[in-house]
Amino acid sequence: MVDVSQHKLVPEHTLLDDEAVEDVLQEYNVKKTNLPKIKRKDPALPEDAEPGDVIKIVRNSRTTDKAVVYRLVIE
Amino acid sequence: MTDNAVISEYEHVDADIADVVEPKDLSRRLKGRIYQTIEDREGVTLEQAGEIAQAVEARYLETRVDPLDPVGTVSAQSIGEPGTQMTMNTFHYAGVAEIDVTQGLPRLIELVDARKTPDTPMMTVYLDGEYAENRDLAHQVVWNIESTKILALGDISTNVADMVVQVNLNDETLLERWPTYDDEGVVASEIADTIEDALGVKTRREGTLIEFGPESPSYRRLLQLVEELRDIVFKGIEEVSRVVIRKEQNDDGTEEFVLYTEGSAFGDVLSIEGVDASRTTSNNIHEVHKQLGIEAAREAIIDETMNTLKEQGLDDVNIRHLMLVADIMTNDGTIESIGRHGISGSKDSVLARAAFEVTVNHLLDAAIHGEEDDLNGVIENVIVGKPIAIGTGDVDLRMGSLDVQDADANAAPEPSDD
Repeated sequence: MVDVSQHKLVPEHTLLDDEAVEDVLQEYNVKKTNLPKIKRKDPALPEDAEPGDVIKIVRNSRTTDKAVVYRLVIE
Repeated sequence: MTDNAVISEYEHVDADIADVVEPKDLSRRLKGRIYQTIEDREGVTLEQAGEIAQAVEARYLETRVDPLDPVGTVSAQSIGEPGTQMTMNTFHYAGVAEIDVTQGLPRLIELVDARKTPDTPMMTVYLDGEYAENRDLAHQVVWNIESTKILALGDISTNVADMVVQVNLNDETLLERWPTYDDEGVVASEIADTIEDALGVKTRREGTLIEFGPESPSYRRLLQLVEELRDIVFKGIEEVSRVVIRKEQNDDGTEEFVLYTEGSAFGDVLSIEGVDASRTTSNNIHEVHKQLGIEAAREAIIDETMNTLKEQGLDDVNIRHLMLVADIMTNDGTIESIGRHGISGSKDSVLARAAFEVTVNHLLDAAIHGEEDDLNGVIENVIVGKPIAIGTGDVDLRMGSLDVQDADANAAPEPSDD
């Protein structure tokens, strides 16, 4: 099987722990469900991600150095 | 990057200049451009460097999006206006190699509509190490990708008298396309097996001559067998009808072979030996989504839309507009189209949906289901003639008088009655 994370189109995906998720939600003043979504069967997802988890994505941005976004794992 | 790294990278940038530039509220990219400018000018005084940094920061902060700015509307117009200058229909061999790709407006529409398959699917296949440098090895990959049908391998003749189809395979072609074999007979027997499996007939093979016919003499069945024979894929990927091999120069001066394919099967190609699975891409955003996930799909949408605009000389469209479009399209974890079946069709407001397309249907459905409209968006408020909730339209002004003499000067002003 091909290692998806090595592809240049795929940014780094990391699983956030509960504490970090709280910080993120507080910072943006949003609910979990307001975040953009990512499907559980997404090939770029870390293996142990479950629906309800929040994934931190660090993109190589075209307009700045790094852009950090978050996605909520859904079914 | 630390100050030291900056100083060592640029000849005319010293620690003092770096100290002026680094604390500014700018991205690394912009700081890099400041240093590059100083470098191009062959050094500036510390004072000048300070002025440059100050000016860049001021300009940067000024161009940031204000609260309540209607970014979506601005993006729509910023993409829409150049779109009017695009060619309505371009079907010529432009861009890469001799592969015909849809360009201009049709391609842009296809992207934002998120069509399941593009009009002209195409892949750019990069090769790994040795394969990228050696033409023979690169060709091996080509044969594994390009679908090989019987007409490419030899001649077919139909003998109506004996009710047989004869396939006369070309020895050289066989060995060329199956480089791992050194006996054309072995290849021919494999081809015969493939034919038997696909058509359900018995074959006879003599050297590279394959013969078969219908079980019972039937002229119709014979012709049918020939038709079916032409469609069998003996090697390669069925979806890929043609592969063009090109030698390309990299930025660092090295050369490598790159393959361009007509037709796309991204998943199959990634696992072929010799293919660099970290750079190969497809112009089918759905295939990218399936193989690499939603984030890669987002990147692909941005790349494809930007390239489409660039090809038409419209690359002064700011990439942020395209990034916004891609963000919206990939927001729910799948690729959603802009338009009736996607984003515009899933808006909360009945009036906003009705204003877009198929007005009567939306109003009728909403009436049947007793839907309500909260009048939060832009379109519905334009329709009912209320101020829209963007820019100054979303700011409430409260009037009242403050009695400074009052003991509690910090109390909030009471709104007046008017």
